[in-house]
Amino acid sequence: MMTIMLGTMILLLLLGFPMMIPLVTAALIGFYMMFDGFGQMNTLIQQLMGGIRPAALIAVPMFILAADIMTRGQSANRLVNMVMAFIGHIKGGLAVSTAASCTLFGAVSGSTQATVVAVGSPLRPRMLKAGYKDSFTLALIINSSDIAFLIPPSIGMIIYGVISGTSIGELFIAGIGPGLLILFLFSIYCIAYAIIHDVPTEPKTGWMERLKAVQEALWPLGFPVIIVGGIYGGVFSPTEAAAACVLYAVILEFIVFRSLKAIDIYKIAKSTGLITAVVFILVAVGNGFSWIISFAQIPQALLGTFGINEAGPTGVLIAIAVAFFIACMFVDPIVVILVLTPIFAPAISSTGLDPVLVGILITLMVAIGSATPPFGCDIFTAIAIFKRPYWEVIRGTPPFVFMLVLSAALIIIFPQISLFLRDLAFR
Amino acid sequence: MTDDLNEQAVSGLPGILGKIDIMISRIEAVILAVGVLLMAVNTVANVVGRFVFGESLFFSEEVNRILIVMITFAGIGYAARHGRHIRMSALYDALPVKARRALMIIIAFFTAGIMFMLCYFSIGYIQSTYSTGRLLPSLSIPIYLMYLWVPIGFAVTGIQYFMTGIKNITSEDVYLSTHVVDGYADTETEV
Amino acid sequence: DTEAANWRYAHEEFEGDVQDVFAQKFKEYVEANSSNTVQVFRFGELGESDDIMEQTQAGILQFVNQSPGFTGAIIPEAQIFFIPYLLPVEDDQIIEFFRTSSAINEMFPELYAEQGLELLTMYPEGEMVVTADTPVRTPEEFRGKNIRTMTNPLLTETYRAFGATPTPLPWGEVYGGLQTNIIQGQENPIFWIESGGLYEVSPNLIFTGHGQFTTAMMANKRFFDGLSDEDKQLVHDATAHAFDYITEYVPGLSEQSLEKILAAKPDVTVTRLTEEERQAFRDRAPQVEARFIEMTGERGQALLDQFKADLEAVTGN
Ligand code: NA
Ligand code: NA
Repeated sequence: MMTIMLGTMILLLLLGFPMMIPLVTAALIGFYMMFDGFGQMNTLIQQLMGGIRPAALIAVPMFILAADIMTRGQSANRLVNMVMAFIGHIKGGLAVSTAASCTLFGAVSGSTQATVVAVGSPLRPRMLKAGYKDSFTLALIINSSDIAFLIPPSIGMIIYGVISGTSIGELFIAGIGPGLLILFLFSIYCIAYAIIHDVPTEPKTGWMERLKAVQEALWPLGFPVIIVGGIYGGVFSPTEAAAACVLYAVILEFIVFRSLKAIDIYKIAKSTGLITAVVFILVAVGNGFSWIISFAQIPQALLGTFGINEAGPTGVLIAIAVAFFIACMFVDPIVVILVLTPIFAPAISSTGLDPVLVGILITLMVAIGSATPPFGCDIFTAIAIFKRPYWEVIRGTPPFVFMLVLSAALIIIFPQISLFLRDLAFR
Repeated sequence: MTDDLNEQAVSGLPGILGKIDIMISRIEAVILAVGVLLMAVNTVANVVGRFVFGESLFFSEEVNRILIVMITFAGIGYAARHGRHIRMSALYDALPVKARRALMIIIAFFTAGIMFMLCYFSIGYIQSTYSTGRLLPSLSIPIYLMYLWVPIGFAVTGIQYFMTGIKNITSEDVYLSTHVVDGYADTETEV
Repeated sequence: DTEAANWRYAHEEFEGDVQDVFAQKFKEYVEANSSNTVQVFRFGELGESDDIMEQTQAGILQFVNQSPGFTGAIIPEAQIFFIPYLLPVEDDQIIEFFRTSSAINEMFPELYAEQGLELLTMYPEGEMVVTADTPVRTPEEFRGKNIRTMTNPLLTETYRAFGATPTPLPWGEVYGGLQTNIIQGQENPIFWIESGGLYEVSPNLIFTGHGQFTTAMMANKRFFDGLSDEDKQLVHDATAHAFDYITEYVPGLSEQSLEKILAAKPDVTVTRLTEEERQAFRDRAPQVEARFIEMTGERGQALLDQFKADLEAVTGN
């Protein structure tokens, strides 16, 4: 049964079916085989509904809405300008600024793709003009945007938190350390790259201009304060932080900056609704799929087959890292989290691993996998947004993938990179 | 995420059916936008209520539960209409046009079939929820009411894919939906 | 018919909690005394409480453990357990009551049967303990506090009667809600307060003596009726075996949990209401009884009368 289910799912995924179809078809096959026909389909529908029931999921559309308002308004640009004013002039400064801007915008946005659009679109032309190769520029933008997935808020973490029953607030806080570690590694590489290729430096910005850039960015800098400060300080739950971000974004862009008109809100809401629906139908069918594999005890059988139950905590962590990484080289990260998390759940609970640490590692691995050839979906986002050929987009990625894998190894060896802030806030 | 959709309503259906189709499309768009705005207002009001007045809205969570079902099931039809469901299209994209068109016909009809099955099963689920008489605890609204949009959403999505299949049979180009021609700009959805 | 069967049994709690211990004892007995096997599913593995109930009614699961607080959505009378100060909190009395009550052992099975369920047993999981941001001794001190309750209308009425603001929330939001002060208190058996770490964020324990957390274990009726007499007896024996174990286990567990809490966080306060203080709360119970009758009609009234008669037999007053 599990061979037929998983085989059908992978086949349909690779053939290019809309991703809800492989998942729900596998679930339908599972129900049919388990109950000798379609007599128990109420339970499948019940579980589809159960998938989108958790209140914590409301944070997803709220963060998408807030980020969408800011991307169309001025917040994103103001953040980029401030970073540029301070580090634009050092060797490799433009590249470092791009990575730093992605990190900073990541503190506002929950998704990789939104960050590619908001930061990558304006900065790529400037980098090309400054003399960086396009393959380096594209790889930098794609991989730096993955930092956004680790820096709170993160849609991947929300969905992992909901299906594994892990505190989303703790996940958010635990993502900050690894996010900054990656930014640090990328910055070193950017500076080294600029020195080796002798990329000319940008003119230095005067203090008055810097002051102005900071002033302009002060308002948008309120977002990380709301999200990180609010959750860290125990003022907000993640869902409340998301709602506060929406309110703040509306006040900023519609009232303070006057960059958007009231009529725009309809368009933005519709676009948010569409993205939400496309993600949530996957969450729904993913829950139906995980119900039938749980009912048929497939995870236990699979983990037994691969001997993972005897692997010990570090072995399980490595197995999880490898599985999520490989899967995300082929499939959308949300789908990977939905399918693989329930499969590994028994191993995670039996080894006593910290589910927050596991969540951070999973989030990092899906981000890496998404930027890794052959089919990592960030690559296709970049192809679509920048209209560049496949080879050009992937040529510069190997050094970045190496640094990301190094970060993953460091997090497995030194969990405190991730857990230090969490323990400080919640323990 | 500046992904404004083609605003002009087009239908692949002839005559009166086409008009109904366009009307459904408009309703879906309104439900999506209004659903998200109501959810934002409800969630924000709950936060403001707690911090300013020290009291949460007791029904806030249940209202969001209703809205999320509405948004999801209005949205899947709308996404199908605009060819916006997430796909892993890398292998598919590598195929020549003829093969892509053939594959798209299979994808469209198979997807339509699954959607109609789910539509049928969800009607069964609504019947059973109706007969147990379960209520939302705070609002005291029968739970089956919030699921009414589910079979409609599946049916509309199924019809969209079915028509996409027909469109691909009757045309030379490859269509992702009844009026979206296959191309990189439209294949990836921001998440 | 001696063919070995695999029975699926789902409950609402985590590994090592009372319902899990009960299920494991049931499984142990069945597997030791027959060739049948029992597969236990814990919280979340097959969905939430309402989900596993629907799955049992559909016959996918053979056994389910669901607390009447949730069953109240389909059997309103099951909410009787939320009437405050109806059940005693003393260990001996409550166990004797569950063993002998004809309301529990005769009237409730009929109500469950209407929903396609064979009620096998009801058992207590421990006294309900309130935790709050300050110690509470009077209804006045409850005023203005948002107290989290299970999503159950009668329980809401109880806390309204007590002077608090009842706030129904799903379990997953309780810890965060207490931490962020969305709610100022909640109620649960002490082992939940310990295992869920709720005392860390809500450090004042109040033993109000107003209720027992009761739960029920049942089978799909069609499945049960189709069993051989031998298997029916096996199920009853296994249930009795688990019941006997749990009645010894729960009182000890409560003491251990309290000790663990006090060891982990010495500044936790423990408030035990005196008989006089309890009376102030007890005086407000009739309003909840009236609401119960309003929701359940004559059948509820008959059940309540029988409850009181059974309790009188046990407590002797
Ligand atoms: Na982020
Ligand atoms: Na991917």
